[in-house]
Amino acid sequence: MVDVLFLVLRRLRSPLITLLLAYAISIAGMVAIPGVDDTGQPWRMGYFHALYVMSYTATTIGFGEIPYAFTDAQRLWVTATIYLSVIGWAYAIGSVFALMRDETFRAAAARSLFERGVARLREPYCVICGFGRSGSAIAEALDKLGVRVVIVDPDAARVAAVALRPFASSPLILVADARRPEVLRSAGIAKPECRAVLALTGDDEANQTIAIGTRVLDPATQVIARIADPVMQANLDDFGGVLVINPYQTFAANVGLSFAAPEVLQLEEWLTAAPGTLRPEPLRLPVGHWVLAGYGRFGRPLAAALAASGQTWQAFDARVEPSDATQGRVEARGGGEEALRNAGIERAVGLIAATDSDTVNLAIVAMARRANPGVTVVVRRNKAYNQALIEAARPVLTFEQSDLMVHEVMQALTTPLLERFLTLIRRDGAEVARRAVELLEGGCGRGSPFVWTFDCDPSQPGIEQALDGTAAPLRVGELTVDPRDPTVRLSAVPLLLSRPRQRGHPVLRRGRKARGARPSLAAAQLPSGGPGSVFDREGIGAGLTGNFDDVILPAADTELAPGDRILFAGIAEVEALQRRFLLDPSPIVFVRTGIEPPRSWVFRRLAAARARARATRRGATL
Amino acid sequence: MNLEKVVFGFFIILACTLNFGFFIGDISRIELHHPGELFGTVIVNLIALVLKFGDRTHIGATHLATSLAACLQLIAASLVWTWQVYVTQAAMDVSTTAAIVSLSGGALVANLISVVLLIGETLRQSR
Repeated sequence: MVDVLFLVLRRLRSPLITLLLAYAISIAGMVAIPGVDDTGQPWRMGYFHALYVMSYTATTIGFGEIPYAFTDAQRLWVTATIYLSVIGWAYAIGSVFALMRDETFRAAAARSLFERGVARLREPYCVICGFGRSGSAIAEALDKLGVRVVIVDPDAARVAAVALRPFASSPLILVADARRPEVLRSAGIAKPECRAVLALTGDDEANQTIAIGTRVLDPATQVIARIADPVMQANLDDFGGVLVINPYQTFAANVGLSFAAPEVLQLEEWLTAAPGTLRPEPLRLPVGHWVLAGYGRFGRPLAAALAASGQTWQAFDARVEPSDATQGRVEARGGGEEALRNAGIERAVGLIAATDSDTVNLAIVAMARRANPGVTVVVRRNKAYNQALIEAARPVLTFEQSDLMVHEVMQALTTPLLERFLTLIRRDGAEVARRAVELLEGGCGRGSPFVWTFDCDPSQPGIEQALDGTAAPLRVGELTVDPRDPTVRLSAVPLLLSRPRQRGHPVLRRGRKARGARPSLAAAQLPSGGPGSVFDREGIGAGLTGNFDDVILPAADTELAPGDRILFAGIAEVEALQRRFLLDPSPIVFVRTGIEPPRSWVFRRLAAARARARATRRGATL
Repeated sequence: MNLEKVVFGFFIILACTLNFGFFIGDISRIELHHPGELFGTVIVNLIALVLKFGDRTHIGATHLATSLAACLQLIAASLVWTWQVYVTQAAMDVSTTAAIVSLSGGALVANLISVVLLIGETLRQSR
């Protein structure tokens, strides 16, 4: 704000000096010109009265001739001063309005307001660079979680749409290019309250720049970037610390999985669905020949996934140049019914309409159904408002980039361990997935489970002794026993045990101690912190290369070490019950022995005395 | 030669000289201190203040601070004078005169610092 104040003062220098001079000349004249008082004696106006008369004359208030009626000489001078001062004021006010309309000034004022707003944020927030379809949908999803959103987008018109959306707490908006480091800094990426920077612009190059810039400016901030280009994706993966989401690649991988291991997709869909949703049936895409309409950045990974899972495919694309056509499988400049026929639609089991136009996709589906009524259809939806049209085509699967981005980003932000678990399951394949589904169904029924993380934090008083070796070590199975009644099993299935490879608690290993652990968004949902707070720096973007030893579906007798994190799936109330283990050691003892141990010093002494008395009595009877 | 520098230096030095002109003379005798000179000092100091707006360097900030101090003291001196003459409507006495002149003396020190800054800046530039 100080910057803006200085800018205003500098720009208003000449009007202010003009006004000052106008007043000074007028007042000096009023004082110099002789007048007469009410008795006709010669009289001179003092500086005070001159200033008073000038003040009301110049502002056209006009109280009249004070304190005595003016002489004609004075009136002549006042006439001159009226014009002088009115011109001075007109100039000054005109300059102020011109300044207010000035683009540079408005930009500076907006920037200054934004920076002050960011500096005042004392709650967790995420910076979203790029307010397109994915960006706006993610902003709204974060807002529903109670996380403040900072939006950076160079397009003022696009950002203006924020005012029309139902945000609970209004996002902070900066119209600027997030590729510039000073813009990133203004957006507060280096503040400890900043949970994540999301690079979601439509341009891969820009997203890469934002991701790398953020990592360089503040290595402790987590970054999620949308990248469609495989080369840039590989670059960023090598750079490290950035979670790269390639929506096309992700969807293609899902399509490939539905051939190879549909159970994996089923588990994934079940775990990430809204709690209470019934278990989905595994989606099995038919095996055989597939026709791909569109061979761009979406079609290419799809074709690769189809080929990798052993399907044959044939593609056509109106925009592909003949030189790009590979191995005779892609018909360049192809379109319409003829291209479909050439691609073998009559013998195909499936069709993927993957062009970037919804109407073209719909037309292709209609033509394909005419040629082959039994064909399975997968459609790409490009515009959210075309949902009804696309649904009318009855596809088995729909690809919508922003839906997929929202899903992936929210999952990475709220439960990074789940992301890890699903990555591991994808690697390990159908067998593990089937076992996990069985366990979940046994543990918590057919409804979609709630997923949370239990953190073996050695600073928590309840599990401190069990973790540092003073008491018997904590086992995974003990966490699934009801702390109110040890005979009851909690509806919770341990999905993943993630153990830091260097021993010790993640907080202690952190280089920048002052920053401490940044609690994840899960912690933002649970104000008490507790087991919901995940050290997500380790979880997010770490993929399979992080410094963790992971155990999928850990056995009940697995011993826990400080810093371990366990991903549980089950019923939502169980999480609150499990938190009792953290606050106070007595539930663990109770779970192990069935005896509620005395909590206070007096009762501990009493219990010890009673035990001694019992022992001596037993000794006496012997 | 830069006209902006001439104007800037002119107002700073004029503010100082006018202030000195008003200040000089027996501190207890009002007839040695002309109200017109005080008026001129206030106006020129205000103009100098406005001229110093918007310079974000360190020396610019110090310049602005000295001018703010001088203007504050001079306006306080004129208010004391106005109060004595128009509000209490008493004759000018020794203590009020001393108050007015000593306030302007304070402003003179601030103006002197301003001049020193101006000279120092000039010397540094032309080295």
